[in-house]
Amino acid sequence: MRELRIAAVADIHLGEDLRGHYRKKIEGIERRADVLLVGGDLTRHGTIAEGRVVAEELSGLPIPVVAVLGNHDYHSDHNQEIVDVLRDAGITVLDDEGAVVPVDGVRLGVAGGKGFGGGFAGKCASEFGEPETKAFVRHTKDIAERWRRALKELDADHKIVLSHYSPVKDTLMGEPPEIYPFLGSYMLAEAADAEGADLFIHGHAHAGTEKGVTPGGIRVRNVALPVIKHAYTVYCLNGDDC
Amino acid sequence: METPHYVAARVQRALAEDERTTELGIRVDVRGEQVYLRGQVSCDERRHQIENVAREAAPGLHVHNEITLVEVREPGEEEHL
Repeated sequence: MRELRIAAVADIHLGEDLRGHYRKKIEGIERRADVLLVGGDLTRHGTIAEGRVVAEELSGLPIPVVAVLGNHDYHSDHNQEIVDVLRDAGITVLDDEGAVVPVDGVRLGVAGGKGFGGGFAGKCASEFGEPETKAFVRHTKDIAERWRRALKELDADHKIVLSHYSPVKDTLMGEPPEIYPFLGSYMLAEAADAEGADLFIHGHAHAGTEKGVTPGGIRVRNVALPVIKHAYTVYCLNGDDC
Repeated sequence: METPHYVAARVQRALAEDERTTELGIRVDVRGEQVYLRGQVSCDERRHQIENVAREAAPGLHVHNEITLVEVREPGEEEHL
């Protein structure tokens, strides 16, 4: 089976002031990668106008683009409109679901969505007490369950989880530990470990580090732009010679 | 003089919540009458806006803008998993 070259980036935070800048950096991406995954925080304020800038920057590439939204993309309550703008531009947007991207006969399955926080095993919030606390934890729990189902249902040769929030603490190193519960949740890792995946891509933690692993052994990569400091990073699956 | 701890908290919240900035990743330290801003942003305009919002949130204090620009480089070497 042919190897797959996965380009990934997150937290591009585009707006009018950056129109055209990111596009210049990804020209020629088809020579380096087979697919581009974008892990949320596509915009700064989550406005429809910013969503249109993102669509222009990412559309019309010779390779498929799969994206999820981040917390910034929800800020103006126009998240669904942003999803529509991106989908109209030919970008696959995952909202707690999976999709299979065919790449030269290889079926790449990508499942995920924005994700959410709550913290990590032993130091996390519980579904207990005030309704606000319970709603916070339940939101992540529901997301994790939808991802587990989406992963299970994916009929693919390789599976990747694409998220904005982190599934592990490893890739948060560099961030203040006090804010870890707002940066991710172990429940996202648990869902991926339950069904299996080749790679877990996320962003959100600008001051974190790139590499980590879930308790079940899935490689985790934090591709937030300030972390990778490149227009994208390429991960090769199933082969040493890509 | 207002407690530096609360000034820092107010500036940090302003940077996150003000529509001109919406920056969550800026570190704010207050020492006496000096405010230090550290972090990374994508362009010079955003760096200046952060300084403006911080000045408004901490009137009378001296704001040091130590924010750096993220230099987005061409993609480098790939990783084989």
